[in-house]
Amino acid sequence: MDRALYTAMTGAKNNMLAQASHANNLANANTQGFRADFAQARSMAIYDGPGLPSRVFSMVENPGTDFRPGAVQETGRELDIAINGEGFFAVQAPDGTEAYSRDGGLNIDVNGVLRNSKGLPVVGTGGPIALPPAEKIEIAEDGTISAVLLGQGVDQPVVIDRIKMVSVDSRTLEKFEDGLIRLREGGKDGEVIAPDPNMKLVSGFLETSNVNTVDEFTNMLSLSRQYEIQIKMMTTVKENSESSSQLLRMS
Amino acid sequence: MHAALYVSKTGLSAQDKQLTTISNNLSNASTIGFKRDRAVFEDLLYQIQRQPGGQSTQDTQLPSGLQLGVGVRVSGTTKEFTEGSLQVTDQTLDLAVNGRGFFQILQPNGNISYTRNGQFGLNSEGQIVNVNGLLLEPAITVPENTNRVEIGTDGTVSAYSEGNAAGQQIGSIQLVDFINPAGLQGIGSNLFYQTASSGDPIAGTPGENGMGTTLQGTLENSNVDIVEEMVNMITTQRVYEMNSKVVSTADQMLQFITQNL
Repeated sequence: MDRALYTAMTGAKNNMLAQASHANNLANANTQGFRADFAQARSMAIYDGPGLPSRVFSMVENPGTDFRPGAVQETGRELDIAINGEGFFAVQAPDGTEAYSRDGGLNIDVNGVLRNSKGLPVVGTGGPIALPPAEKIEIAEDGTISAVLLGQGVDQPVVIDRIKMVSVDSRTLEKFEDGLIRLREGGKDGEVIAPDPNMKLVSGFLETSNVNTVDEFTNMLSLSRQYEIQIKMMTTVKENSESSSQLLRMS
Repeated sequence: MHAALYVSKTGLSAQDKQLTTISNNLSNASTIGFKRDRAVFEDLLYQIQRQPGGQSTQDTQLPSGLQLGVGVRVSGTTKEFTEGSLQVTDQTLDLAVNGRGFFQILQPNGNISYTRNGQFGLNSEGQIVNVNGLLLEPAITVPENTNRVEIGTDGTVSAYSEGNAAGQQIGSIQLVDFINPAGLQGIGSNLFYQTASSGDPIAGTPGENGMGTTLQGTLENSNVDIVEEMVNMITTQRVYEMNSKVVSTADQMLQFITQNL
């Protein structure tokens, strides 16, 4: 059978993989701080022997993650924070490395450790931030956390720590398989980015996902039509091969 | 089968749970002392189909690989303990906590549960009970022939009767606080139990050590913001539709291959 069948097959298979990537973006269209993944196809040519160079297979890949900010939603909760502009909060990943996130729905655990909504400790000037029992917690524009401690007057707020925020060229970042964003080079080996003192955040707001549902959906539909064309190619190959076997038939 | 089918399925079930949370919030929009829930989503793991940086030939590397996310999950719901608005009712035994703190309610099995709902009444023995007849802890008994009960902002309960215009202190209400109120477990009837995540209760006198004050004749409304819930409902519905559209697209693709090949 003609090799065109296999060329069409890689097209159809990679269309399906690309769709899975878009489906994941759409499934996370409501996830706080989620960053959408891009998907693109690359042509992988295989030229062997004489003849027309027509064996070009396709290969889908994620060239990167969309780091544009998402919409900001007001919640009024004092521990909800959103970064104003580009940049990230630093969090501690389960493997101890520093990861970066824009998910600002913070919580305090039973030991007073400040954690994001995934349960990862938020990093301050020197590692995770622990808060004493407090009556009121305020997160200032520059990430400084101050608290009115239990039993102390409101006139004596205490500065506890400062949330580490970094600004970084997003081309050096990569989303790893645990969904966390780290430095592509050395992020898994404990390399960290220095805090940027000029970053600003707003408290009482949450950043939503940056998935553009219209974009994702248009891509979904276009991939689905492309897929049908690949299948059509396969049917054509099948018909060709049927006709050639008919030619040889003795009647 | 088509991976997108299962990915969208996680999206559908997450939006379903979000809608359940929203509808519970909306149905409790006028429940005294109710605290709204928020569903928190997180992206699931990523599967590496092709390793970024893998060798494409001996001397060249792939600049980027293929990682496919496998969808979304609800990592939990958190209670938001922001304060609701206060409503003046002028009922003697309606109480609100203005600030941090919970009332303690004794369960029939001897456990203590916690509430922000200050709708209290008296039982046949004159004890202060909540709307379900459970005793307020520490127990306070209002003596017979009492004309008037006054509750101070520090929780002091005094009874006045005819011939005793000076009044008599019959007890005081204690509040408790938690380091992480969001970790409390709701058990219905506006009551909460402490959990390992909320920490142990820190008892205190109202108005001292950061505890809120008790306001007599006042109730704390639910902190559900109806507009916010409505907007959330719209986004939930649209994201749900998008995900179901992905399921039907994937279905049509599979149908196309079975019918045309």
